[in-house]
Amino acid sequence: MDNSIVISTPPHVKSKRTTKGIMLDVVIALIPAAVMGIVYFRLNAFILILTSVLAAVATEFVYYFIANKGFSDKCRHAGEVCKKWWKQFDFTSIVTGLILALILPPTVKWYEVLIGAIFSIAIVKMVFGGTGKNLVNPAATGRIFMFLSFSITAYSVCKIAPVADGSEIFTGATHLSGFLLDGNKSGHIAWLDLFLGTGVAGCIGETCKAALLLGFIYLAARKVIKWWQPLLYTALSAFLSVCLAAIGSKTFEIGLFLDYALSGGLMFGAIFMATDYVTSPKGVYGQLVYYVALAVLTSVLRYLTKFEVVSFVIMLMNLLVPLIDTYVVRKPFGYKKVKTQKEGK
Amino acid sequence: MKAIKGKPFFAGIHVRGKKSLACGHRTEIMPEPAEAYISLSQSLGKPAVAVVVKGQKVKEGELIAKADGAISSNVFASISGEVTDVRQLTGANGCSETYIVIKGDGTCEKAYLPPLNGPSAEEIKARIKDCGIVGLGGAGFPAAVKVAPRTAVDTLILNGAECEPYLTCDHRLMLENTDEIARGARYIAKALGVDKIIIGIEANKPDCIEMFERYDDIQPVILKKQYPMGSEKHLIYVTTGRKVGIGKLPADSGVVVQNVATAFAVCEAVEKGKPLYERILTVSGEGVKQPKNLWVRAGTCVKDIVDFCGGEVTEQIIKKDLQTAETDDENQTEKSAVKKVVQGGPMTGLALATYDVYTHKTTSGILLLTKKEAAAEEPTPCLNCGMCADACPMHLMPMQTAFYSAAGDFDTAAKLGNTLACIECGACEFICPAKRPLIQAIRKTKAYVRSKEAPLPDAKPVDQKGRSAPTVPLTEDGKIVEKPVMQKIDESVKNSEGELKNAAVEKITEEVKKQAEKEEK
Repeated sequence: MDNSIVISTPPHVKSKRTTKGIMLDVVIALIPAAVMGIVYFRLNAFILILTSVLAAVATEFVYYFIANKGFSDKCRHAGEVCKKWWKQFDFTSIVTGLILALILPPTVKWYEVLIGAIFSIAIVKMVFGGTGKNLVNPAATGRIFMFLSFSITAYSVCKIAPVADGSEIFTGATHLSGFLLDGNKSGHIAWLDLFLGTGVAGCIGETCKAALLLGFIYLAARKVIKWWQPLLYTALSAFLSVCLAAIGSKTFEIGLFLDYALSGGLMFGAIFMATDYVTSPKGVYGQLVYYVALAVLTSVLRYLTKFEVVSFVIMLMNLLVPLIDTYVVRKPFGYKKVKTQKEGK
Repeated sequence: MKAIKGKPFFAGIHVRGKKSLACGHRTEIMPEPAEAYISLSQSLGKPAVAVVVKGQKVKEGELIAKADGAISSNVFASISGEVTDVRQLTGANGCSETYIVIKGDGTCEKAYLPPLNGPSAEEIKARIKDCGIVGLGGAGFPAAVKVAPRTAVDTLILNGAECEPYLTCDHRLMLENTDEIARGARYIAKALGVDKIIIGIEANKPDCIEMFERYDDIQPVILKKQYPMGSEKHLIYVTTGRKVGIGKLPADSGVVVQNVATAFAVCEAVEKGKPLYERILTVSGEGVKQPKNLWVRAGTCVKDIVDFCGGEVTEQIIKKDLQTAETDDENQTEKSAVKKVVQGGPMTGLALATYDVYTHKTTSGILLLTKKEAAAEEPTPCLNCGMCADACPMHLMPMQTAFYSAAGDFDTAAKLGNTLACIECGACEFICPAKRPLIQAIRKTKAYVRSKEAPLPDAKPVDQKGRSAPTVPLTEDGKIVEKPVMQKIDESVKNSEGELKNAAVEKITEEVKKQAEKEEK
């Protein structure tokens, strides 16, 4: 036995899974959506994705370098600081950058994405303490920031010729603002088109639902996310939307269920943004409350505002997570309610 | 009886068992040590009081220290010879313990109690107490207290789960001494006055399940291969469907749980009059040359055990300059591959700092882990992924405890994390992708809360600002030092653990005393 022996509290064996590995899984799950985005929207989408990811990673690095004490020391030992940064780099900024690009319409300018990505990482994430400390989803907040800062029209309406047929169809930033909310029947798109994203305008990563589903299956199989969470959110939200539509039109059309579920950023938000570890509740019951609240808010706000609201709803619910975590707590195993005033221990 | 499946339980983790390292090896008997260092605190509770003096001759199995109070157990000489010293030494857990040193004379003279034939319940209870039998699952709770429950019980559960990875000693014992275990279980059942005996065995030991299906009065229950299935509360739930309340004893739910090794010890004590001074333990891990299951006497030096198993595995470091060296021998230097030495199981055991510690009758394993197995990685920031909460068999929130205790707010930590219900199984820290030291935070919080509830005369308050993980320090010239994290446990944590144990024990002792007084009245 030599001096390099390690002493610590148990357990002495640990699982192979690391933060880095999990984030890598998320990146892998996002790749199909990104590829389909590039296929549909060509160079525009590619430039946006590249800018966003690079800006996100670069911002994180610069922040790491500047923040905290000893800037001059760090400059002197720049090589070592870089090595140390690389050692603690956990792909979270890549995920943020990728998600941010994928929830933007392809008509957005590259410098807008640049600013949005820097905002997401520097203001939303790093200032609060970096990985694991941010209060709200950086990508969702970055999108909202861009949406409010630059021309709103670019984010709500986009007219772009999709690859499938050359014709220009009227849709919003998503299919949602076209048919479902304005009641413009001519904007109805076949379910298969919606599912594959052919002939549908929308955000880069949100159009091809097949790619999203692939990512979902991968994440669920790798147990990165719980399979029921996106399902609960999507299904409940779509069902409530159908109900709300029935209030307006006095006809209950369950056939619209798929339209609501497949349109807009709902699926993307449910799979990749709402399930973000940092900003979702930790306990099982808390998660249940969180996803139900998300679904209710999404459908109600969609109905009232006629806008795509998923990012807003996710950011709003993120802010309530600490409250949920404090008040929705699972009782320990073997807990019995004590009849007297005394709390059971 | 035909084996049945246990109730499903949705929590816990799947650990790679690594049991194949040692489970194929028949148990061997470790030769008698030349000198035995026998600790007086071999069970949960107060240390025993020495009844021998320096220079006295003792025989194997002779009483050398008497139990002090209700929660304590007798200690016996594990070899025959002469008592050369009674002194204080630092034990495996870093606390000071009193040891009786016996120098062997090699005569192997035995001094057992008379065997019992067809004993009555009272006789069995007395024998269990006299023979110093403790729970051999790891905690070392005196068995005499367990067989005299305060409430009516109707079921005896034998714990053959052995859910800890690496350990195979119970597995071997169940295969090789099935009859003795069954008889021991019947003795315990008789002492308790119950006739329902259940044995819980994990599904990865089908051979053991088959062995126990032969008996008509023992019901084998197949447990899912899941950690921690051997935890008392979960074993009771899975086999009988009863839940044990928090802070309650299994007897309150009408159940008594005993380890299979305890049942074996009871059988030996009743039929042969043999006191508990040796036990079967597993030596395993990829760092040891020949993994083995051994019968080891209490007080054997860990170094002797490791040497008996072929010693440490070494890895060869080949020198870079091949041009100058000609023979292979000059080329290579050997370095130990062992990174961590663990006494007990890898999930709940104690990391040893040195081989100069001595086994107790509760030591269930010696594991030599290599760097690859020991996974001593630096913790990264918590992601709030909630995997620890999902894995927690007690449905707690370990991340809340860790978060608030790191900030020094132990009260909130205990409240939100429900820390006092924690069984410290280690599932949360095992699963944590950020490798956070959760168990350390939990223990710190527990120690703080307990020291506040029942301040001990010599209790030191836990450091309010105590951070759970040491940060990476910078040297004077600003360079970043690569240093393995968690090389040393915080002294305060170590101390508080000892205090914690004592505080808990004193509480139980007082309760038992009160009960006894009531009964007398």
